[in-house]
Order: sequence, then structure tokens, then C-alpha cells
Amino acid sequence: MPQVTKPNEEFDVVKYFLQLLEDDKDMSSGIAAIKTLLMILEKKQFGTIHILHTTMREAVAAMRNTDLSIAAIVSAGELFCRFITLSLDDKHMEECRQIMLNRGKIFLTKLQNSRQVISQQAQRFISDGCRILTHSRSRVVLKALIAASQNKKTFHVFVTQGGIGNSGEEMVQDLQAAGIDCTLILDSATGYVMESVDFVMVGAEAIVESGGIINRIGSYTMGLCAREMKKPFYVLSESFKFSRLYPLNQRDLPNEYKYSRKHLNDISKVHPLVDYTPPAYITLLFTDLGILTPSAVSDELIKLYM
Amino acid sequence: MREQPLKEVTQLIHAIKMGLVEGSYSITNKTLDIFKYIIMSKSWDSADALMQIVRAQSRILQAALPQETVTSNIARRILKLTREEFELLQAKVQHFADDSQASLSLHKLVTQTSESCVSVDYSVPQQGLREALLDHLQEVETELETSSENISVQAEEHIHSSEIILTLGHSRSVENFLKRAIKKRQFLTIIVAECAPACRGHNLAATLAQEKNVEIIVIPDASIFAMMSRINKVIIGTHSVLANGGLRAACGANTVALAAKHYSVPVIVLAPMYKLSPLHLCEQDAFNMVGCAEDVIAYDSMPARDAKVYSPMFDYVAPELVTLFISNAGGHAPSYVYRLLSELYHPDDLEL
Repeated sequence: MPQVTKPNEEFDVVKYFLQLLEDDKDMSSGIAAIKTLLMILEKKQFGTIHILHTTMREAVAAMRNTDLSIAAIVSAGELFCRFITLSLDDKHMEECRQIMLNRGKIFLTKLQNSRQVISQQAQRFISDGCRILTHSRSRVVLKALIAASQNKKTFHVFVTQGGIGNSGEEMVQDLQAAGIDCTLILDSATGYVMESVDFVMVGAEAIVESGGIINRIGSYTMGLCAREMKKPFYVLSESFKFSRLYPLNQRDLPNEYKYSRKHLNDISKVHPLVDYTPPAYITLLFTDLGILTPSAVSDELIKLYM
Repeated sequence: MREQPLKEVTQLIHAIKMGLVEGSYSITNKTLDIFKYIIMSKSWDSADALMQIVRAQSRILQAALPQETVTSNIARRILKLTREEFELLQAKVQHFADDSQASLSLHKLVTQTSESCVSVDYSVPQQGLREALLDHLQEVETELETSSENISVQAEEHIHSSEIILTLGHSRSVENFLKRAIKKRQFLTIIVAECAPACRGHNLAATLAQEKNVEIIVIPDASIFAMMSRINKVIIGTHSVLANGGLRAACGANTVALAAKHYSVPVIVLAPMYKLSPLHLCEQDAFNMVGCAEDVIAYDSMPARDAKVYSPMFDYVAPELVTLFISNAGGHAPSYVYRLLSELYHPDDLEL
């Protein structure tokens, strides 16, 4: 647990955030963002809701400046700020704060349980002897596969390298540690291997309002191949990753999602880190709100933001 | 501990297996009667106890008849009803704010305050639950009885004069739907694919041919693709609707749907609400069922000595191939099915 700062010390948002992620490798950056915002709510004194709101926004902006998966931070931060602005009856600031703290804690508990719920839903779809293709490294997919293997199912997993970095290799190591048969393949081998797999299962960095996903570069290609070969394409993701973006094509994604901060000045020479997979290529989304079709996503967002 | 089936449940299973009760409508009716009997009986005193009994009996029905998902659908309806009535009565007693949407949503996640209970305790005995349930059950029964009529009144919106319509086999909903269209529209041509090996399309054709002012043509299944270019609309019934908007329909439906997709012909599926099931395709160990192979090749014929013969009863039709679902509650797109499911059933009841 990071050091709790003294009340009169300036609370360093970014330091606390990074420390949380450092301490628990398994935590999603979205959850860490919410924990940080909750800590701000607890530590700082606020005169009015407006100040609170502004402080939250500044904190989210500060966390965006780190070079981590910005999509999850943004959507989780938005969700948190959203529920702060949801109407509270005319109460004193202190009562409001207590209510928000309580809500925040319940919210956080529910979200931390979301991977378990998703993994549970995915069990029914993983049958004995099936072959699964996954892209790069996703902790949600990892959890689901490990749970299936603990339920005494045998299956084979193909893992793509996932572009630059060794995320694919890490995934393979984690799977092998859990005793699951797996093969590491090149990203370019997706087309080759697609005919031999039963379905594709990937995670997501964000789910956009159209029902499409933003995920590690190469996911779009995988979606296209899967559609062509008529293989189901399943996405496993927590509900706090629902985002209000509505990209119509790859270029519509904001640059800060695609490129790390140092390259934002001149993007013509660098590769994007993520891509957008339109909803037409996705069969089902497994979330803690249930198994949804892509068209259900915008419905959920409307219900929240209306 | 193995659950003991009620006498009525065993009788119903026997009747269905012997073919004495057939058709989703009759099965649903009889199952509803059993649950009504359970509600009226004195064997339960709290909502929790009732739900346990309903769950146990419906698990038995599901295990005995894995394809007949209408039994589990009705059980889930009743469970949702029980939860709703219980919460309503609790709210009246304890003056809570009415939190009607039981379904999960981002909104609910975010607005859960510590005052409202995160989980409701159903084992508290509640006065007036039995009466409230029986009242509400009456509504469900009426909905069931009028489902066919509510579907057929929509016929004139979807069928226009001088159209050529294709249907497959013999579905009760389709028969009533088409009869109404025949009354209200002129110069219709209805092409009925016979749907071998049972050839129930012949029955539908015979019934419809008695109507005035309509031309009925019967075609073998092999001609479906050939005729499709001339068809304006395809109207079929289904055995059940799956959670993703796909269908479990009579064998041959996928042929019709694929041919229709090729020629861009709209496929309209008539499905009353009791056929909506929250299951997905791969969750079902027993999706399909084989029927009597005698109808395909006679047992005492030459080929029967060496050939393996299968006569599957059902087909899976993907949601992309369906244009519109018409239910007693109106018309819906296949992508809207998830919403109907979240309104009909409680998320905790998906696993009975």
C-alpha cells in the first residue's frame, strides 16, 4: 500500500496512481484510476461540488499524461466523475462527501469483482478440445482461460505476439504456468491459423459507443479474418471500459490513444499502438453486465448518461 | 440430494414424450398450469421457498426435455414475477423508493447507495404474496392465450397485395398470420415448401387452399433456391429464439434463410414472447435432436444396410439472416432481442 500522505502535504496524484500499479501488476489501470480519485475524495477538503468536479477533472488529466493505456483511464475517470454529478438531494457538503465515498467504495468492490463474473460467463463457451485464438496479452482472457483449465477442460490456445514488446510471450508464459497448451504465433500468421481455430477471444482497452472495440494493433485484422472464415469473435471486457467515443474509421481515433506521448508531435514516422474493430466484426461482448451483442453497448451508455 | 419431481410434472413429461401434448403453445400452457398449482398449494411460506420449488421442478423438466426451452422460459418468467411482487410488497411495507429496474446496467452500478440493500432477502415471509402472484399469473395466462391473435393482427402491415410469399412447413402462428392477410389483401400467392421428411407443409397448404382469393403452390425443399428469386417475402415460424437473436427452427429453415440472403429477400420470423430463451447456441449440450430415420430411408431397403441415416429436427439460423421478429408485443430487430430478454427475465435466473 502506498504511503498515506500527511493532510497538509500536496497529494501527488500521478505518484499514487503509478505506485498502485507498481504494487499490483494485476490491477487494471482503470481500477487504479478510480482508486486514486477515491483517495482524492477522501483526503482533500472541498467547499463546493464544483471545486470537487474540477479537481477530479484535473486528476484525470494528470493521469492521462502517464504513458499507460489511456483509454481505460479516460473511461473509468469519466464514469467516476459522472456519478459525482448525479443529483444528490440538498444536503451539506460533508454529507454529500460521505455518500459519495460510500457509493465509490461499493462501486469499486463491484468493479473488482467484474473479472470473476466475466470469466464465469465465458466458461460455457469454452468446450473440451476446442482451439482458441487470442491476441497479445489480456488479463481478463487469461483469467477466463485459467478458470476453464481448472474446470478440467483441455483446449489449445494460439497467442499472437501483439506487435512491439513481448506481451504475447508473457501471455504464453502465464498460460504455460497454468498448464494450458499454447502456441506463440506471428501477428502475420493470423490468416494462416484462422481456419484451424474454433473461435477468437480477445480483451479490449476500451469499448466504444458503436459497440466496436479499441484494442492492441492487429485486432482489426483478426476481426476481418474471423468474419471472412465465419469464426465467432468474442470480446471479454469489464463494463467500466465503456467509452463515449464514436469512431467511424481508424483515423477517427484520437491521436493520444494511438501513439505514446513522446511521438505526438510528429506522428508520420511512428506506428499506432491500438486500432479500432467495428461492431460488425464482433459476435458477442462478455461483460459483467451480461453477455451483450454490440448493439446493446450504446443502450447501456444512454441509460447512464441520459 | 436428488430433487423429487411432482406427480404433475412426471405426467407432463410422459405426455410430451408420448406425443400426446405437442406444440410449444400446449406445452407452455400445461407448464404454466403446473406452476399455478404450485403457487396455490400450501407447500411454501416465503418467496425464497417458492423460488426453490419452481427452480427444482424446472430443472427436472429441462433435464427430461432439453430441447423444450419453453418450460424453462415460463419458469424464469414466474421467478421474475415472484421477485417483482415481493419487492413491491416490501417497498409498500418499508416505504423504500421504487427501484423497478432489476436488470444490471452501468447506471445501476453507479447509483447504488448504501441505503438500498444490495441484495434483497427473499426468505422473509411476506403477506399477500400468494394473492398478488395469482393475480399477475392471470395476466400471463391471458397474454399466452392472445399471443397468436396479437401476432396475426400485424399481418396487414407486413403483407401487401399481389405479393408472393414463401413459407416452410406448418407453423400455427404462420397459418393464422397468413389467413388474416388473405382476408385483408388481394391476389396473394403463397408458396409452401413441404419440409421433408414429415412434409407438414402439405397440411398447411391444404388448410390455406380452402380460403378464397389466394393461390397456393407446394414445392419440394430442393426448389427453394430456384424459386427464391421470384419471392417477395419469406415468413417462417420458429421453435425458439436464442439470446443472440438466432433461431432454433425446423430443419430446412437455414436453407430458406441463406437463399433469401442471396437474393436479398426479407425474412420475417413469427415468434411469440414465450419462445424467447436466454440461452446461447454453444451453451446447449443438446441443441439438436434426431427424428425417425424411417422417413428418410425405409429400414428394409438396400441402402439402409450400409448407410448411416440422420434426420435432424432443428436448424440453427444466424441472427444476420433474420430481418424482423414479429411477436405479440410488436416487431423487433434481431439485435434488439437482448433488450427483450432483460425485460422478461431476471439476470440471476439465467442459471436455473
